[in-house]
Amino acid sequence: MANENSNTKLLSVATAGFWKQNPVLRLVLGMCPTLAVTTAGFDALTMGLCVVFVLVCSNTVTSIIRRQLKPHVRIMMFVLTIAAFVTIADLFLQAFVPRMSEKLGPYVPLIIVNCIIIARAEACASKNGIVVSIVDALSMGFGFTVTICLLASIRELLAAGTVFGLRLMPDSYVPMTAMSMPVGAFVALGLLLATANLISAKEA
Amino acid sequence: MVNSVKLFFRESWLLVACAFLFGLLLAVTDAAWAPKIAQNKIDKTNAMLQSIFTDGHEFEKLPEKIDILSGKVKTGESTVYKVTTDGRIVGWAFTAEGFGFADKIQLIVGVDAAFKKMRGFAVVSSYETPGFGDRIKGDFYRNQFVGAPAANLNLVKGGDPSAIDSDIVAITGATVSSTAVVNIINRYMDTVKQAMVSKGVISSGQ
Repeated sequence: MANENSNTKLLSVATAGFWKQNPVLRLVLGMCPTLAVTTAGFDALTMGLCVVFVLVCSNTVTSIIRRQLKPHVRIMMFVLTIAAFVTIADLFLQAFVPRMSEKLGPYVPLIIVNCIIIARAEACASKNGIVVSIVDALSMGFGFTVTICLLASIRELLAAGTVFGLRLMPDSYVPMTAMSMPVGAFVALGLLLATANLISAKEA
Repeated sequence: MVNSVKLFFRESWLLVACAFLFGLLLAVTDAAWAPKIAQNKIDKTNAMLQSIFTDGHEFEKLPEKIDILSGKVKTGESTVYKVTTDGRIVGWAFTAEGFGFADKIQLIVGVDAAFKKMRGFAVVSSYETPGFGDRIKGDFYRNQFVGAPAANLNLVKGGDPSAIDSDIVAITGATVSSTAVVNIINRYMDTVKQAMVSKGVISSGQ
């Protein structure tokens, strides 16, 4: 019975990030990268994978040290842990994907202040075991990645006629340059949030 | 006093230990990847220089940087590259930067061996508006600098962009970015030339 409950909890954690507690569509967290790096699909995918890496590492470390963690230094510990893994992710991009590193610019170091990561350390990893924390990190991380890739695909399609570099619009298509600019990010995100709210209202 | 020290260590030992461990982890990671990151930067610069000097094969960075002054205040510095083919100098290139419409624009500017004519420029980094200001990277704008005099350039809003002279025709809808590039080049060109003459790298008569 206990085992069944544990499996149900794990399944609930594993799926939460994709819809019920999706960081972008439900919790409206991580807006900085969501708006800034969704001009192209590959940019969003790289950012998403960086967030997954940092989330998994930070949740793992936080879960391991959770019993030794003093309440008043916990935020410092979270930031220290996150900053270390973000720096590793940034160095990795600079070394092996230099062009993408240049394109993403300051937004990779800015993952340090991404609310999703610190929120998961506080809400999940500091209260749960390592397995639940890793599953939560993967769920939230990939939920975030899928959402920003969707947003980037919409923007890239309208701004350049391509999705992940693959041409989908006919040659006669006139690109909507505004979609690659900040205004396009806000409009696309607004429409995506409205759609998500409409679906959840129908579900309720 | 002893109690305060004990309290400090009891409360913060984990933070101190983790800071040490993460510091160590970052030091190891940086040591492992720093050479590759440095090589990537060199490769990028060489690719930029190659796009300006198609006849240049070797690019040598001069050891001393040139200070860019505004009055007596240092406002920037420039790295100079010697471009050679089979030991013969075919030109010079220098880095230049300044503010554009959105953020800083970083350029590499190429000139011929005599510092008389421009060989062109390449944009190292810029965050100009997509579809408008970022057209400073396009052929329409960049080609106007190839063969232009290595002296003060003027930005004009109309004219013949194919004419090789000191007039640079602005990009429609991106006057600020077009002006920024011309201003950056003007600000650096004379200072770099004078510095190289004073250092004896090129002669004033050239």
